[in-house]
Amino acid sequence: MNSVDEVLKALTDERYVAERSLGVAIYLALQLGKPLFLEGEAGVGKTEVAKVLASILDAPLIRLQCYEGLDVGHAVYEWDYPRQMLAIRLIEATGEGAKAEVDDIMSREYLIARPLLQAVEATAGGERPVLLIDELDRADEEFEAYLLEMLSEFQITIPEIGTISADRPPVVIVTSNRTREIHDALKRRCIYHWIDYPDFEREVEILMRKVPDLPPELASDLAGAMEKLRSMDLFKPPGVAETLDWAAALAVLGTTRLSPEAADDTLGVILKYQEDITRLRSEGLEQLVASVG
Amino acid sequence: MAEPLTHNLVHFTRYLRAQGLRVVPETTTYLVEAARAVGLRSRDDTYHAFQAVTVSRPEDIPIFDAAFDLFFGAGQRANSPIDPIELEVHPRGPRVHIIAPTTVEADLGDEDLADMSDQVGASAVERLATRDFSELNKSEHAEVKRLIARMVWRPADALSRRWMRSSAGARPDMRRTLRQMTGPVGELMPLAMSAPKPRRRPLLVIADVSGSMERYTEMLLYFVHAARGRLGRVEAFVFSTGLSRITRELRHRDPRVALSQVGLAVHNWSSGTLIGDAFADFNRTWGRRITRGGPVAVVISDGWDRGDPATLRKEFAAFARSVHRVVWLNPIAGRAGFEPKTQGMRAVLPFVDDFMPVGNLADLSAVVRLLESVPKRKDPARR
Repeated sequence: MNSVDEVLKALTDERYVAERSLGVAIYLALQLGKPLFLEGEAGVGKTEVAKVLASILDAPLIRLQCYEGLDVGHAVYEWDYPRQMLAIRLIEATGEGAKAEVDDIMSREYLIARPLLQAVEATAGGERPVLLIDELDRADEEFEAYLLEMLSEFQITIPEIGTISADRPPVVIVTSNRTREIHDALKRRCIYHWIDYPDFEREVEILMRKVPDLPPELASDLAGAMEKLRSMDLFKPPGVAETLDWAAALAVLGTTRLSPEAADDTLGVILKYQEDITRLRSEGLEQLVASVG
Repeated sequence: MAEPLTHNLVHFTRYLRAQGLRVVPETTTYLVEAARAVGLRSRDDTYHAFQAVTVSRPEDIPIFDAAFDLFFGAGQRANSPIDPIELEVHPRGPRVHIIAPTTVEADLGDEDLADMSDQVGASAVERLATRDFSELNKSEHAEVKRLIARMVWRPADALSRRWMRSSAGARPDMRRTLRQMTGPVGELMPLAMSAPKPRRRPLLVIADVSGSMERYTEMLLYFVHAARGRLGRVEAFVFSTGLSRITRELRHRDPRVALSQVGLAVHNWSSGTLIGDAFADFNRTWGRRITRGGPVAVVISDGWDRGDPATLRKEFAAFARSVHRVVWLNPIAGRAGFEPKTQGMRAVLPFVDDFMPVGNLADLSAVVRLLESVPKRKDPARR
């Protein structure tokens, strides 16, 4: 892709409605070969960017979901212990304990590639896979430190085998919900983009593109209600993912316009904290619906 | 690339740093690369591109915006030269002068501190240990501060989800086992074991700096500063009518500088107290970001509250659910005949695991000992 406009058009073709700023960030990441660091509240479409990008580039998507305690065995590679054991048994049974054969069980053949190694190996022959490192804020600092090295060199060192390097840097998307700050050193190596909630018009556009056969009035009702909800200082303001779920839920119920009753029935789709639900019910759903109608 | 542009980008980078953005020397290179990639025809695209390579936190976006407008003007092309002399470039950021947050500190000159002898006799420590902070004279004040800085901290550990080798562990370490087997092939297969690796439990301090706490605030902030120095993973907030995060300000090694920075950062010293609002703010703005890893929460307040007790109860309950343990420190709780009678205190007590006085040095030592012995599991009896 040779310009920001081409990126934006490709995104739209994949039914991803993006701000121009996101288009610029993606374009830069692709052009400069740097990882793209996407930060934003939950449900604003960070993960979706990676999926759409993989589809646009017609490249495999390799996903690493982060969690506390994530270690090399789950992120990079692991030895295939059962097979190694069997191999040892076999050597023992045939009585040929030759050193060469014992060394064999520490070869690439007995290695299970986890996402990061998969991504490095998938670059063989000049391919450029999309590597999604999802919710990095959930991993602990130890893993972040490891990633720092991996993202700058794109090579993985396995003590028993040696160093495996990428032929060219994969397209890397790192996402964070900001449940904690990611270290500056890592962010600096990336193109940074903060994805905000969409404004009213954009949210209507997202709804119309993503939910087939959605009545335009309902799309506008929902986008308006969401705008109001996000300004309400809730414990967890709903994201775009919730808007889409809401539209789907109302469609199932056969609703064509947002009414206080319909909103009440489906409140659990958009608000996930009891405090928020109670508050909205006590402050009156009529008000929410009236303000957008 | 045009010479004037590179020149401008160097100044732009310096200016961003002076404004507090965390930029690195390579940032200029990134800017040049970004300009090359998107071109300079569209001011919008240049703006987005420059932002993507310089900003790394949403809070920095307004600072970037102002700087971008200053350098590249509304509607101007990015390669028109800008006179660097017009800009006040402070390469190291503004220097912070020592401005004391409380009146007591202001009275305390450097001579007082210099006068202090290096050795504090045992009897002096004993005498000071039980003196209420509000009754100290100037030199005692300085001595107590020094003793706080010398306290020994041994924080409680929590178990992490990482594993380390341990002969007494319960989980086999297959990788190590297999590696051992590639040595001389023997009949026995010794199983290498691993156990959860301990990690330090983070500490979260939320201190009341309202008017009723005034005589204790400085001393208690010294205590928080000492905790930060010893434990590392400490998040600190202060509140009166509003909540402020002071973690960054407390980073300076010298407690006087650190506290003066806190003084500059916090605007509502010694005003009224809205504890419920402060915790509501914490729960919404900071909760999810700060309460990772199950921190021990230390709340320092006398519980005098002008807000609505129902709000306080609700917000404090949510707060208590998100942390490992709640320790409430009340400076006046040690006084004879004290009962937690204020409305605020009564609202929060059901959610507090440990309620302790912090009126003097001995109380602070007791707090340190308590923090050492926080159990690994959450107290099931509570809530």
